Amino acid sequence: MLKYLKKYWVYFLLAPLFMVGEVSMDLLQPRLMAVIVDEGVLGLSHGGAGDLGLVIRTGFQMVGLVLFGCFCGIMSGVFANLCSQKYGNDIRKDAFRKVMSFSLEQTDRFSTGSLITRVTNDITQVQNLLSQCIRGFVRTFLLFAGGILCMLTLNLSFGMVVACALPLILICVVFFIAKANPMFGILQEKLDKVNNVMQENVSGIRVVKAYVKEEYEKERFGAANGELVGTQLDVLLLFSYMTPIMNIILNVSVIAVIKVGALQVGNGTVTPGDVMAAVTYISQILNAVMRMTMIFQTVSRGVASGKRIKEVLVCEPSIQGGSFEGETKEKGKVEFKNVSFSYPGMGTEKVLDTINLTIHPGETFGILGSTGCGKSSLVNLIPRFYDVTEGSVLVDDVDVRDYTLNALRKKVAAALQKSEIFSASIRENIAWGDEAASEERIRQAASLAQAAEFIDSKAEGMDTWVTQGGHSLSGGQKQRLAIARAVLKNAEILIFDDTTSALDLKTEAALYEALRKEYAGVTKIIIAQRIASVKDADRIAVIENGRIMACGSHEELMENSGIYRDIYDSQLKR
Amino acid sequence: MAEKKEQSMSNYRLPGMRGPRNRQEVEKPIEGKKTILRLVGYFSSERNVVLFLLLVVCLVVLASVYAPKLQSNAIDSISAMDFDGLPKILITMLAVYGIQSLGTFLQSRESAILSQRVVKRMREDLFDCVVNLPVKYIDSHSHGDIMSRMTNDVENISNTVSQSLSSLFSGVLTVFGTVAMMLYLCPPLALLSCTTVLLTLAATKMLSSAMRSFYRKRQVLLGRLNGTVEEMVTGYKTVVAYERQEAVIEEFNKTSEELTKAGIFAEILGGSMGPVMNVINNVGFVIIAAFGGYFAVNHVISIGVISAFIVYAKQFGRPIDEIAQIYGQIQTAVAGAERVFAIMDEPREDKSGDQVMDNAKGVITFKDVRFSYLPGQEVLHDFNLEVRAGHKIALVGATGSGKTTVVNLLMRFYDIDSGEILIDGVNIKDIDCKNLRENTAIVLQDTVLFADTVRNNLKYSRQEAEDREMEEAAKMSNCHDMILRLKDGYDTVLAGEGYMSQGQRQLLSIARAFLAQPKILILDEATSSVDTRTEKRIQDAMVKLMENRTSLIIAHRLSTIQDADFIVVMEQGRIIETGNHEELLKQQGKYYELYMTQFSGKAI
Repeated sequence: MLKYLKKYWVYFLLAPLFMVGEVSMDLLQPRLMAVIVDEGVLGLSHGGAGDLGLVIRTGFQMVGLVLFGCFCGIMSGVFANLCSQKYGNDIRKDAFRKVMSFSLEQTDRFSTGSLITRVTNDITQVQNLLSQCIRGFVRTFLLFAGGILCMLTLNLSFGMVVACALPLILICVVFFIAKANPMFGILQEKLDKVNNVMQENVSGIRVVKAYVKEEYEKERFGAANGELVGTQLDVLLLFSYMTPIMNIILNVSVIAVIKVGALQVGNGTVTPGDVMAAVTYISQILNAVMRMTMIFQTVSRGVASGKRIKEVLVCEPSIQGGSFEGETKEKGKVEFKNVSFSYPGMGTEKVLDTINLTIHPGETFGILGSTGCGKSSLVNLIPRFYDVTEGSVLVDDVDVRDYTLNALRKKVAAALQKSEIFSASIRENIAWGDEAASEERIRQAASLAQAAEFIDSKAEGMDTWVTQGGHSLSGGQKQRLAIARAVLKNAEILIFDDTTSALDLKTEAALYEALRKEYAGVTKIIIAQRIASVKDADRIAVIENGRIMACGSHEELMENSGIYRDIYDSQLKR
Repeated sequence: MAEKKEQSMSNYRLPGMRGPRNRQEVEKPIEGKKTILRLVGYFSSERNVVLFLLLVVCLVVLASVYAPKLQSNAIDSISAMDFDGLPKILITMLAVYGIQSLGTFLQSRESAILSQRVVKRMREDLFDCVVNLPVKYIDSHSHGDIMSRMTNDVENISNTVSQSLSSLFSGVLTVFGTVAMMLYLCPPLALLSCTTVLLTLAATKMLSSAMRSFYRKRQVLLGRLNGTVEEMVTGYKTVVAYERQEAVIEEFNKTSEELTKAGIFAEILGGSMGPVMNVINNVGFVIIAAFGGYFAVNHVISIGVISAFIVYAKQFGRPIDEIAQIYGQIQTAVAGAERVFAIMDEPREDKSGDQVMDNAKGVITFKDVRFSYLPGQEVLHDFNLEVRAGHKIALVGATGSGKTTVVNLLMRFYDIDSGEILIDGVNIKDIDCKNLRENTAIVLQDTVLFADTVRNNLKYSRQEAEDREMEEAAKMSNCHDMILRLKDGYDTVLAGEGYMSQGQRQLLSIARAFLAQPKILILDEATSSVDTRTEKRIQDAMVKLMENRTSLIIAHRLSTIQDADFIVVMEQGRIIETGNHEELLKQQGKYYELYMTQFSGKAI
């Protein structure tokens, strides 16, 4: 993920540079302070006579210096934030783009909750990591290194103490990071779980309430939350050992420096002032180390989050388009050749078994069959929601796998079984398949889908806002919006996957009548439960256990197919 | 001002673009102080831990004040070439450092425990609120945003509390101690050093109002981003089917850009607190030095007092600086807390009522019921209906005629505007909501299954049910065989929409409702995606199960409802016909019309 930084290398360099400015001012300032105190106020070199003029002069100098430091600090913040947030923004956008290229099976595998965490929370962690690295780390490291350097210049025997303490600190840091790293990965996973439980409850609130499961859900959430909080606590407790241990190491160093210093002063090699300075530097190093532990926490967490984002970024969509752009002579022909299909990860249970079928351009093709017989799976193969396990699906005589995904899906408009409604206006929901659609075409599609009447009855008409999941609409209204959406797309192949089930038959009949008239040249594939929905189709296929048992017109099937007659009877004769 | 801007922004839209998301959710400005007080309230029940923590912080502060004193003692004795006294001082130092380290350890440990306890409770409280919110609230708000409050907002609070609690404590403690010492030494100079405090307050106030609006905006945008991801991943199949990826990505990117902008401003402002405080501190220092010098020249105070003052002025700066460093974080936490409390303050679902209906026969009466989802748009007008106990009653009618609304009302998902709904003569408002729902099972149009095993999904309606009963229910709803064909049978984990068709999901939800053994069963288009033969088998099985139980069936397919005891035909929120199948056919009214279009009308 380093390559994302390239674009912002200027910021990435400027931020630490300004930080150097701020830190230098911080390091200079104690000297001026000493001048003010020792010379100006206490007048040490003038036998106790203070010099107000000097205080004010140096005071102005100091304020000027500090203002400059302030400027550097703010600028460093500006560049560090520009760098880290823009960096995060780029990754976030790419990660979401990647998610939007996944196949259905891949999004299911990641789970909604986890994808949400990865695109939002994990990115924030990585952002924090970067901004900590370029600001906090640089600052702390400068103070740390500066302190050590100054100490070494004082006297080499103090260096001995540092040489002993440093490896210990290093071991300490490495140990804690090694321990903490896997924990942060777990932490984010637990966050996924909390997100998942939350999502299920929010979107399934009716069922939760209907079965009076609030308490049960609270327990389930409590468990997920407990795990999350527990892991977080483990991390914090682990780090609570780190600071005191480091403190001890450094404080013992202070004592050692004084002890060594005492010996040296005794020998006359150093002055008491040097010892005092050494102690000051060690406290500076100590401060730096304390901040470092905080930074390490952010960094470890950011690294763990980075890994999770990377999983998304490197995950290749399992369904990828070919290169064929979709210019064909035939328009609207669908052919299944020896197609067998089983869902990925669901073993060898065949949902479709050696299907051979050709649907001709302009044909209205009905599909009937019992629940779970494979009707939806069959049409899911046409726009490549899933890929066949064996055999091939051809659209306009070209294998669907050869098309670019865009070209293929342009040819196919599918109104799905679950009419997905997005939080937007009714107009936007219909124009979902074609943003550029004119008002006139949207109206046309709505009236063809028999939706115009109910839309007009709303106070705000097309501008009526519908909420996520379309709870403000009835089942039939949602289906009609989904149909309007499909019709508007102007595709060669129109698939209705049981999308008229909630329509009353009168409405349904009017819909099919309009379709027949205005979309005569379009291939229409209609999955339905009711015989009445498909009986006027050119051909009807009856599917059972993943096989086509019979195929023909209503009259033919009434004559030849026992199953068809059986279905017919179940709907009519009483 | 800032809020106003936000509002106009979220209502802003480009022609052809998706509209504003969550437009009901423009955040109201909430007083920061109140939020902080409320946040503090969360700590009050952890009084013991807080007190202990305070004690430890005091100890650490004392040790860290005492240690430098020992250091200077040690150096003094070195300067005085008094090497005999040194070991004693060094040993004391060792002890003080030991205490300090132990204190630091306890301090971070206790604040970790404290913060996580508080966060745990806060999340649980929030979840408790969410599952007890009225259905209406959830229906009209972005799900992803609610989720973001649970994770991102609460986490910000968690981080802040665990990382800055003890800095805050020790900072405040040090400031108070120092001020007290200064006042004791020289009141006029102490008052002068208060200019530092005044400047600090002024700067904080100036920065924080700007900061807070950015931090709030950032959290709102993060919620919106969450919402987009949630909605688009949930409806991913439709996104793919319509090749809307680019448009969706564009919308995501737009929010993402806005978020980045808000984030950059917020963080830059937050990050400038440190340097600005540094300037103020130094200005304060110069003031003290200058006036101190002036006082000294005029013999108001002694040199010793000045040097002490200067040490204190330095000490004064450190905690203020520390608090400034974490100030941004605190603002984020406050912005998050506001959003969390906003949900907690939503009125909960009204579940009042003390009557129970365990022995109810199942007579359902609707009396002059009027209802509207939105004020002024009535969905049900003077709805009157009586369902006899043990009857199978069906509601038919064009889509949008108000059938599902009847279910929403009966389950008390929504409250009626006027009139009453009675079960066995008792107003459902007087029935304990929990009891009402326990005795009523529903299967909804949109099936909801959880990412759990099939077994747990079925037993959701009755945890204590035996496997035998569960399988029985599955057989009745015709999904037993289907389940056995799954990879792990009843232990297969359902993940996402994946491999299960809508019809199969409906069968599972029906099995779940059957297992509940309810007094009243409601099927709202529950078999719309199930083929008619399977449906017939389920209905035959239901006859025995529903003996002496009332069932309410909503369907378009007349074959689903033909054999109901009583059929209610609805149109635009009114009942226009009632009777059984034969009676209604005889009437040759609306039902007859429907029947003709569905069956014989085209002479199949």
